[in-house]
Amino acid sequence: MFDIEVLLPDLWSILDAVPQTLVMAFTIFILSTLIGSLFALIERRQIPVLRQLVVAYKVAFKGVPMVIVIFLAYYGLPAALQFIASLARVELNAHAMPNWVIIIVALTACVAAFQAEIVKGALNSFDTGQADAAYSLGYKSSQLFRRILLPQVIVAAIPDLANSFMVIMKALSLAFAIEVVDIFAQAQLTAALNYYYLEAFVIAVVIYMVIAYIVTQVADRAERALRVRT
Amino acid sequence: MDLSAMIPELLSALPLTLAITLTALIVGFCVALVATTFRIRRIPVISQMADLYVSYARSVPVVLQLFVTFYGLPWLGSLYGVPDFFSPTFAAMLGLSLYHGGYLSEVMRPAYLAVERGQHDAADSLGYSFRQKVTRIVGPQAVHIALPGYGNSIIYLIHNVALVMYIGAADVMATAHLIMERDYNQYQFETYLVLAVIYSMLCLIAWLIVRFFELRVSKYAPKVTPVKGAIMASV
Repeated sequence: MFDIEVLLPDLWSILDAVPQTLVMAFTIFILSTLIGSLFALIERRQIPVLRQLVVAYKVAFKGVPMVIVIFLAYYGLPAALQFIASLARVELNAHAMPNWVIIIVALTACVAAFQAEIVKGALNSFDTGQADAAYSLGYKSSQLFRRILLPQVIVAAIPDLANSFMVIMKALSLAFAIEVVDIFAQAQLTAALNYYYLEAFVIAVVIYMVIAYIVTQVADRAERALRVRT
Repeated sequence: MDLSAMIPELLSALPLTLAITLTALIVGFCVALVATTFRIRRIPVISQMADLYVSYARSVPVVLQLFVTFYGLPWLGSLYGVPDFFSPTFAAMLGLSLYHGGYLSEVMRPAYLAVERGQHDAADSLGYSFRQKVTRIVGPQAVHIALPGYGNSIIYLIHNVALVMYIGAADVMATAHLIMERDYNQYQFETYLVLAVIYSMLCLIAWLIVRFFELRVSKYAPKVTPVKGAIMASV
């Protein structure tokens, strides 16, 4: 029942989907980190109304499974865009929007809630004494941010960011529900051609584990290379 | 769309969802205990296999884990001459148990290691066996440290129960699909909104329960700050 001979052709077939999965994951990763940093900044500065909105956003997106968010975006996003476009009197056929845009928007929205938490934690790990020292040396806030805060905060956040990259890779496996092809969807398609389901899925498992291993190794190296020696 | 008819119909599938969740919680906890013990004791080959299992559970998407269980079980059964009687529900329970066990093991091990070094040394020097050390000294302190992470992992388990529909278990999501198709797919967005509310409520209840225990335990706990475990989602 388990056929060793289909493993190799399956591997080549599934590897085809790896680059596009990585590209989508990187896009989502960068977008969600930017939005998450914005949220963290809002919480840190304690801007009155926005802060409550951010908290509500985080609660909402942490309580709802990602599949459901993806389906909500799939059925709600084109209609919403169409509505906005009609308000702004722009000619736009939002229903022709490709599905990969929807998946990127939906997953960015989900992951941003968690990225905000990561950035907040990294910001909290920053020693305020250093800020005092910098101010007493006459640094401006922008200089403090660029020369002292950012280099340390990024290093502190590396392990969590690597983790969240893997989460995005895994979350993309839900994209098959709206017909976006990633590693998992490609495994299903491959299996559907030759009916060797278990073999294709085992190959996909191996690919995911190898990617996870590479990501952790890269993160470890980066952290070790960048950490300020004290 | 008739909410008063739809919600009871959706909730009628809730017992199956809850049954899968509870089974995964209990079995996963036992699996995690065993895996964590192996990983902590560093028994040559077995602990590496436990490590491999944990990284499988953590780095492979849950959908894929479910599919592997669903297609792998009949294959395993055929090796031992067991007829193929496994239902999707059983595969879902087993798959999620394995996922939850691996995830939880990565909550337990840091908690065990986070207990102050001196406590480990003191227990060892007093001649406690590993089991006595865990049950009498390190365990009670580790519970306090591990509870927030445990709460998170329960919430992720509830999220991931929404995925068992793909291997054909008739849970809340599958029922929602039936309802939508019966209404000629007019109210998909609204139905998913209702689903979102249902899952949020489940998560809220789970969170409140864990929170209750956290407050109770923290009364007796030493002043160690709980490890703020993995805050990331797990899909």
